[in-house]
Amino acid sequence: MTLPVSIIMIEDDEGHARLIERNIRRSGVNNEIIPFTNGTDAMRHLFGADGSGLAQKGNALLILLDLNLPDMTGIDILRQIKENKYLKSSPVVVLTTTDDSQEIKRCYELGCNVYITKPVNYENFANAIRQLGLFFSVIQVPPAAS
Amino acid sequence: MNAEAQRRRTVLQTLLLSAGFFVLVAISVASILLVNKSREDNSWVLHTVEAENQISTLLLEIRRAESATRAYLLSGGPQFLKEYQIAAASVPAALDQLSRLTRDNPVQIQNMAKLRKAVEQRLTEFARGIDRVTNNDVSTAVTALRNGTSTGAVETIAEVGRDMRAEEDRLFRERTETADRTQLLASSVTIAGSGLVLALAFGSVLLVRQSSRARDLAETRLRDANLNLEATVDERTADLREANNEIQRFAYIVSHDLRSPLVNIMGFTSELEELSGDIFRRIGGLTQAATGVPPPAAGEIALEGPDQQLSADFSEALGFIKSSIAKMDRLISAILNLTREGRREFVPVQIDTRELIEAIVATLAHQASEAQAEIHVEPLPNIVSDRLALEQIFSNLIDNGIKYLKSGVPGDIRIRGRTKLGYAIFEITDNGRGIDPKDHQRIFDLFRRAGTQDKPGQGIGLAHVRALVRRLGGTMSVSSELNAGSTFVITLPINWNASNRNSDQ
Repeated sequence: MTLPVSIIMIEDDEGHARLIERNIRRSGVNNEIIPFTNGTDAMRHLFGADGSGLAQKGNALLILLDLNLPDMTGIDILRQIKENKYLKSSPVVVLTTTDDSQEIKRCYELGCNVYITKPVNYENFANAIRQLGLFFSVIQVPPAAS
Repeated sequence: MNAEAQRRRTVLQTLLLSAGFFVLVAISVASILLVNKSREDNSWVLHTVEAENQISTLLLEIRRAESATRAYLLSGGPQFLKEYQIAAASVPAALDQLSRLTRDNPVQIQNMAKLRKAVEQRLTEFARGIDRVTNNDVSTAVTALRNGTSTGAVETIAEVGRDMRAEEDRLFRERTETADRTQLLASSVTIAGSGLVLALAFGSVLLVRQSSRARDLAETRLRDANLNLEATVDERTADLREANNEIQRFAYIVSHDLRSPLVNIMGFTSELEELSGDIFRRIGGLTQAATGVPPPAAGEIALEGPDQQLSADFSEALGFIKSSIAKMDRLISAILNLTREGRREFVPVQIDTRELIEAIVATLAHQASEAQAEIHVEPLPNIVSDRLALEQIFSNLIDNGIKYLKSGVPGDIRIRGRTKLGYAIFEITDNGRGIDPKDHQRIFDLFRRAGTQDKPGQGIGLAHVRALVRRLGGTMSVSSELNAGSTFVITLPINWNASNRNSDQ
């Protein structure tokens, strides 16, 4: 990666967060991972205190998003990211337990870049995350500015 | 409207009708009797009149005889003799007639005896006078005639005749009165009876009106009750639907949320497994280092004694945890799928059922030939329903049929269909291992299975099928004996019913 890309991980389950992080690291991705366990904190970080998203201007971000959060739905976060002029170009990976086809369709319609269902089988889970990590290591991420 | 009043009214109605009938009969009988009586009375009146007439006739004949006798005495004309003979001849006949007419009355019989004697005496006197004239003894005849007047026969005749008339007059009055009374009675009875019948009819009409009013009231109440019932049923249905939706939402959320911790359990168990590998390899390395054996450059380090046991126990424990998690994951997935099915909207289309089932049979052909099973599809009624739901229903049932055959017996699975009262009835019959009747309810429960557990499965198929059949507005049942095959009967509406639960949302 040409720019230091930060991975913003919005995941309420700390266990999941730990497993995801571990497997991403195992695939050789060493980028900074910033974890959030609730939507409010993540939103504050992404959009800044003023909510404009200006705070992230120029930063290359990759967002890992869980849909089931205690304080808001991931769908809302996704929509706001994709409606924000600074953040909309940042890739969003939805990583969630839901495999409902309606939900998947909705996320892609809102502009999500990748949708991954967390497999319960750990081998599959680890495999999926590692492949995601490999994917991270090759993709280009634009800075959050237009 | 209570039953007691209803019963009382019915009894009263019957009583009234019977009473009316009896009154009619009584009036008829009384009328006939009274009419007869009246006719009899009238004939008696007539009789009296006749008797009086006869008395007059008799007296007239006697007078005629008397005047003819006198005329003959005075003139000696033969025409007077002839007249006398005619009158004298008719007197006894008239007398007999009168006697016949008055035979019924003892007073008149007495009078008749007196009269007869006087009349005979008088006739004798006349005859004697006539004889004398014939013998030219006119003066003696005149004397005799004069004497005759004084003998009292004339007075007797006059007196008796008056008496008899008086008697007949009395009888006439009496009988006229009786006849009048009878007639009055007859008309009174008729009037009273008619009045009574009218009154009864009026009562009946009142009762009928009352009961029809009661019936109208009951009808209105019934209609109201029906409306209420419908409203109540609608309400309950809505409640049930709401409850069902809630259960589905609940099941969805729970199964969904259960998955998250499961991912952690599974994930960290796997991590632990890897850690254990590292730990035991390290223990092995340390043990070998302690015993002075140089560690191998790479590959497995063999553990010894208690260390090997520890490693095996550790792996066993982890294995159980992992297999349990896998099972739990399958169950949760099953619930999720079921709830997802429950939320799917049905799309009713005209379905060629036979074609649909033959397509299913074609996809199951491989399994069927492996199980040595033959599947026969008989002509089936077409219905309007949801294609996907029907596919799932029939493929589950046919698949079950193939799956649970008796080992060593070639399978024979038949699908039959018929229609009845707007419903299509499908029967899926197999000659498989059958289901114990005590398990007939159980097999439709989620995650419950019956019989020998030698086939893989979650215990979901039939629960799913029954839920689908119900949502399609149908019913499902099974008849089976252990080792005697099973028949699953599905009843589905032929036409799509708008009230089917098209959506649970």
